Amino acid sequence: MRSLGRYLLIRTLLTIPMIFVLVTLVFLILRVMPGDPVKSSIRPGAPQEYIDEIRHTLGLDKPLYVQYGDYLWDLLHFDLGTTLSPVRGQSVAKQIWEHFPATLELALAGMFVTAVVGVGMGAYAAHHRRSVADYSLRLYAIIIYAIPVFWLGLMFQLIFGVWLRWFPIAGRISSLAMAPKHITGLYTLDSLLTGNWAAFKDSMMHLALPALTLGLYLSGVFVRLTRSNMLQILKMDFVTAARARGIPERTVVYRHALKNALIPIITMMGLQFALLLAGAVLTESTFSWPGLGRFLVERITYRDFPSIQGAVVVFALLVASVSLLVDVLYAWIDPRIRY
Amino acid sequence: MNKRKTFFILVALALVLALGLTACGQKATPTPAPAKPAATEAPAATAAPAATEAPAAAETAAPTEAPAPANNKTIVIGTTDKVTDLDPANAYDFHTWEIFHNTMDTLLHYKPGTTDLEPALATSYDVSKDGKEYTFHLRKGLKFDDGTPFNAEAVKWSIDRVVKIQGDPNWLVTSFVDHVEVVDDYTVKFVLKKAVNYFPLLVATYPYAPISPKCYPADKIASDSTCGGIGPYKIAKWARDQEMDLVANPNWYGAPPKASNIIIKYFADATTMRLALENGEIDIALKSLNPTDYADLKQNPNLQVIEGPGAYIRYIVFNVKMKPFDDPKVRQAIAYAVDRQAIVDKVYQGTHEPLYTMVPIGMWSHKDTFPKRDLAKAKQLLQEAGYSADNPLKIDLWWTPTHYGDTESDMASVVKEALEETGMIKVNLQSAEWATYTDQFGSMGMFLLGWYPDYMDPDDYTYPFAASDASDDIGSNYSSPEMDALFAKEQAATDLRGADREKVFYEIQQLWAQDVPTIPLSQGKLLVVAQKNITGIVLDPVMANHYFLFDKK
Repeated sequence: MRSLGRYLLIRTLLTIPMIFVLVTLVFLILRVMPGDPVKSSIRPGAPQEYIDEIRHTLGLDKPLYVQYGDYLWDLLHFDLGTTLSPVRGQSVAKQIWEHFPATLELALAGMFVTAVVGVGMGAYAAHHRRSVADYSLRLYAIIIYAIPVFWLGLMFQLIFGVWLRWFPIAGRISSLAMAPKHITGLYTLDSLLTGNWAAFKDSMMHLALPALTLGLYLSGVFVRLTRSNMLQILKMDFVTAARARGIPERTVVYRHALKNALIPIITMMGLQFALLLAGAVLTESTFSWPGLGRFLVERITYRDFPSIQGAVVVFALLVASVSLLVDVLYAWIDPRIRY
Repeated sequence: MNKRKTFFILVALALVLALGLTACGQKATPTPAPAKPAATEAPAATAAPAATEAPAAAETAAPTEAPAPANNKTIVIGTTDKVTDLDPANAYDFHTWEIFHNTMDTLLHYKPGTTDLEPALATSYDVSKDGKEYTFHLRKGLKFDDGTPFNAEAVKWSIDRVVKIQGDPNWLVTSFVDHVEVVDDYTVKFVLKKAVNYFPLLVATYPYAPISPKCYPADKIASDSTCGGIGPYKIAKWARDQEMDLVANPNWYGAPPKASNIIIKYFADATTMRLALENGEIDIALKSLNPTDYADLKQNPNLQVIEGPGAYIRYIVFNVKMKPFDDPKVRQAIAYAVDRQAIVDKVYQGTHEPLYTMVPIGMWSHKDTFPKRDLAKAKQLLQEAGYSADNPLKIDLWWTPTHYGDTESDMASVVKEALEETGMIKVNLQSAEWATYTDQFGSMGMFLLGWYPDYMDPDDYTYPFAASDASDDIGSNYSSPEMDALFAKEQAATDLRGADREKVFYEIQQLWAQDVPTIPLSQGKLLVVAQKNITGIVLDPVMANHYFLFDKK
């Protein structure tokens, strides 16, 4: 594992050109695209001189390479700039930092549901191959992935929220006044850490439906992935040997076989998690969940260049870090992998 | 394999380079001269005096500490609108003005349920003989939330700040006010650039709201400031785009609000808001639900749907300098061909009313001047313009998908259908997202737009579209010396609601139907849906909800 250190270093260094290319592309595309951050944030019919003056104050009339250079310079100093629209002058970094915990909470909860449901059902299907359960679970996997996630969310809201009144259907908590003390920004974790049971119950209730929607939606992929991996593992010699030694079937399948099948699944989950950190836009919109996905889409509508660029940079970093972590984890779990 | 890889890398690099070059090739916008917001035309002030005494409300003696809200009621409101900027010097959207309406009062405000002004933070005002000086007498003994006393200094400071900061709505002040003078502690004088008879209406807008000099920075926009002013409520907590908590203001001079706490929840999606209303998570749903939702919710026995007159209008704008819309016959033909009933029924499911003039129904001087639908007349005009079934008029109709709600694509289709029914028009629908749309004002020949009022006067619904000074900013480029003369006349009239001024507006509306710079289509009703146990919902064309009247049984 000596070369692991070198591997990590190279991977980390590679993220720099990646971010550079990404930022350049986004920067150029945004400015080539029609639509102006100033015009989209003020009322139609505002005098042209007024618009021009604001653009000048914001530096939007400088030549493109100057704006680009300025942005790169700021980026090197970890300065993501200030927003242009709908409100001018807010710190982009602060905005992203404020929206991130909500997305993280949803991503973690969603991933948990996906893991438990997807992997569990996949293992079961593999074990009971060609049974009714197997076919139904495979059908479920396809259907759940084909259903638009916002429709799924809406149906859950209708059934569990309006008809059964089991769960609330929007937001992270009933009222801001109830929010727990800010430690990590994840309401469920913070309320646990501060012993605030009312806030814990309330935030869990609010997390339930969006996590279920997102988690079930993604579980389809994992059902099939787990199933096919498990089928391969179950054919292997060590499984037959374990059965021959009289180890209970349950243990053979759900402990020994599943653990070995998990490796590619973990990679997939890692990537999926990284994507979720970019914010599940549709789920966030349906549940009025104030996360990064919604933030980015909104800022695109307003052509808020710095926010969009900043969010893209943050996403790129998140995806790179998570995939690096997964690769390292992979190497740690599977002794056959060497760097 | 290596050759392949190199090839793809070269292609990728070429792409990046190409994008870069196109972007660099774009002309940088030239540095402009400092902004001068469109000044309203008004000739030399007329001589007639105008001592409009605001109805003499008994001047309240210095109020003793208002009792702490005895009730402990919380009402939860939902909306799909957003707060843009909590600084009255920069905010220019309806929802933020509604928040201001409930957290920072102005010198004069509209009486709830009407479009009449009544004294508010000022108990009365006098107007000088030449109409250029308005002297307000302030209510005594009030203070801002941070303890700063409310007096003439604070009022002057607030106005000077708006002028200095030059935020979006600053033209409401800078186009009219020359300077503000402190006469004494409780008397403040506004000196105008020219006599403007609707100045009291402007004073009711929020750039004129007095705010605490200690709480707001003098020369910067404070977009997230929860300081507020002196209003029935003050902002207790705020998380942008999530939630706002209001609590009754103990320093309020009027009756304490019926509900001591208001929570406003911001929804990303109208359907989610509807479900939240149905499952009791919110008590009241304000703007806006989908038109189909209102029809459904009317059937729900646990909810009440309240309708009121709105002042929101929908219309088509023509760029009269662009072919083929430069021919008035073409514009008139289209005006005869539009089907307002189809719009109101199919697109808005009865939540809008047909509109036959730019001045909304219910507003003073409203007069229907546009013709009812007449396909024969439309065809005749088209023929006179040189078009026929074999040589149809080919036009692009622009619309924008998200800014006006989910129904906009239906709107565009319905308009297209109505026009094509003549058999002589071919409509090509073009859409552009809002940011692109506003960028294109001036290059679109015919496009759909909406309008919310700044101040409750027909001038606000007409001037921006048809005055030579302003029409290019909205993309219509209409310019008519006759129309300009009419505007000058109405703005100079001494009696804001007098018969003379009314006659001028009738003439403006008639000329409008002839020249057709825009075609009014429909006017939106105000719809609020609430739980059955909520009372006190008063709707009026000013369209700012009065949270302080809401009550829960």
